[in-house]
Amino acid sequence: MSTESQQEKQSLSGRIAVVTGGCGGIGTAVCARLAREGAQVYAADLRGGDTIKADEVIFHEHDVSSEESAKFLMAEVERQHGRLDILVNAAGIEIEQTIEETSLEDWNRIFAVNVTGTFLTSKHALPLMRKAGSGSIINFGSYDGFIADPALAAYCATKGAVHALTKAMACDHGAENIRVNAICPGFIDTPMLNSFFGSSGDIESLKNEVRRVHPLKRYGTPEDVAGLVNWLAGDEARYASGQLWILDGGLTAQVQQMRL
Amino acid sequence: MARLENKIAVVTGGSRGIGRAIVKALVEEGAKVLTCGRGNDPADFPSGVVWQTADVSIPEAVEELSRTVTERFGRVDILVNNAGIQIEKTVPDSSVEDWENLMGINAKGVFLMCREFIPMLAEGGGGSIINIGSISGNHADPAMALYNASKAFVHGLTRSMAVDHGHQGIRCNAICPGWIMTEMADAAFEMAKNPQAAKADALARHPSGRFGRPEDIANAVVWLASNDSDFMTGQTLTIDGGLVSASPLQPTLF
Repeated sequence: MSTESQQEKQSLSGRIAVVTGGCGGIGTAVCARLAREGAQVYAADLRGGDTIKADEVIFHEHDVSSEESAKFLMAEVERQHGRLDILVNAAGIEIEQTIEETSLEDWNRIFAVNVTGTFLTSKHALPLMRKAGSGSIINFGSYDGFIADPALAAYCATKGAVHALTKAMACDHGAENIRVNAICPGFIDTPMLNSFFGSSGDIESLKNEVRRVHPLKRYGTPEDVAGLVNWLAGDEARYASGQLWILDGGLTAQVQQMRL
Repeated sequence: MARLENKIAVVTGGSRGIGRAIVKALVEEGAKVLTCGRGNDPADFPSGVVWQTADVSIPEAVEELSRTVTERFGRVDILVNNAGIQIEKTVPDSSVEDWENLMGINAKGVFLMCREFIPMLAEGGGGSIINIGSISGNHADPAMALYNASKAFVHGLTRSMAVDHGHQGIRCNAICPGWIMTEMADAAFEMAKNPQAAKADALARHPSGRFGRPEDIANAVVWLASNDSDFMTGQTLTIDGGLVSASPLQPTLF
């Protein structure tokens, strides 16, 4: 229920947003937040439409690795709204392997989703942002694009690629008032994180250790990430572009925490 | 062939640890070295090394060093600002005296040495300044607030001097050591509840599978002092066995 005064506080009122991976751990929270701020949100994902609760979030079946799918998605947005204001490239997968263990097929698959997906969705979103007169693209990098977790080689490489792509896109499209940033999350409580822990034994004690290592003594939540997405998407961030926003509870501000 | 034949080097804090290894490596490559420290002459340096007791945080002591260099060698080619101390405290725990001690040596000392020796380096047609920074200048070690900040100062000053004095043929770079096993690092493990376990854990975080040795840093100093690094200036070189390239969170360690 929204009263007049609440509507005034909405920062994204009337904006059109597409969120890839919109039914995933972080994507779901992002869609909910953007919708709460007044945006019309398309949750673009392979599946998961049945879990969407908010009226302002529309599920759109989307495979980020397919150019046909990207064209179809943007054609639908254009038909409905004639423009696009916000694109969040949140679709991503990880493969827990060293490069020796990684098959070419797996390598190509993770690049298809994490890198090619960001490329294709952005490429076909740009004409609609041009029609809007401005736009904000928010990519998902990772703190793993700066420092490596063990046996996540291909994932680390895809995130490094997204970081560089973010800067390149920001340079190329800044003159059209299209801003491009990347959020680089640390440990966020999502199914992907649980899967990463799943291969490592006693999950609860692991989680406590992980909390201990963070300066803020907790994990990030998908809502923490959604808060930064909301800011980057909106007018408050109108001069922010080309940056890699590390959101990690202070994790990477410190030297490795020896158990002294 | 020795890479630093007939070069003149000044190394601060050369009596022990990393500084001592730097002095030794420079001498082995053919350089003549003046080194200093606040204590007495260790008296067991290789031949060709001149010792002078000096506190780099005192301007008169630094002037005295440059007079000695002029008298003994007539010029200088290499300046290594290695002298440093650490104080293990947070900001509220640190006294003004702590600030003056630590910043005096780690920051002001580097400034005074560079101010004194840059004209002499320029007069000789240029040279190489090598500052010892730290990975802690980029990422914070807990309860080492002033130390971390002093090393960030060193990194910033390194870039500034590279920019300001490149046209005089002076190169300026910093080395950021990780965990080098010196008396300083041993003291850190002694503070642990279980020093053995602490050491094992710390080792496991190094992709190299070992801690650094003073020689690892000395080797990099030789390279930065030599003509092999002639186009490198303004950089901070991390030498840490891969420590800061790895995530701090490795479930396999827990």
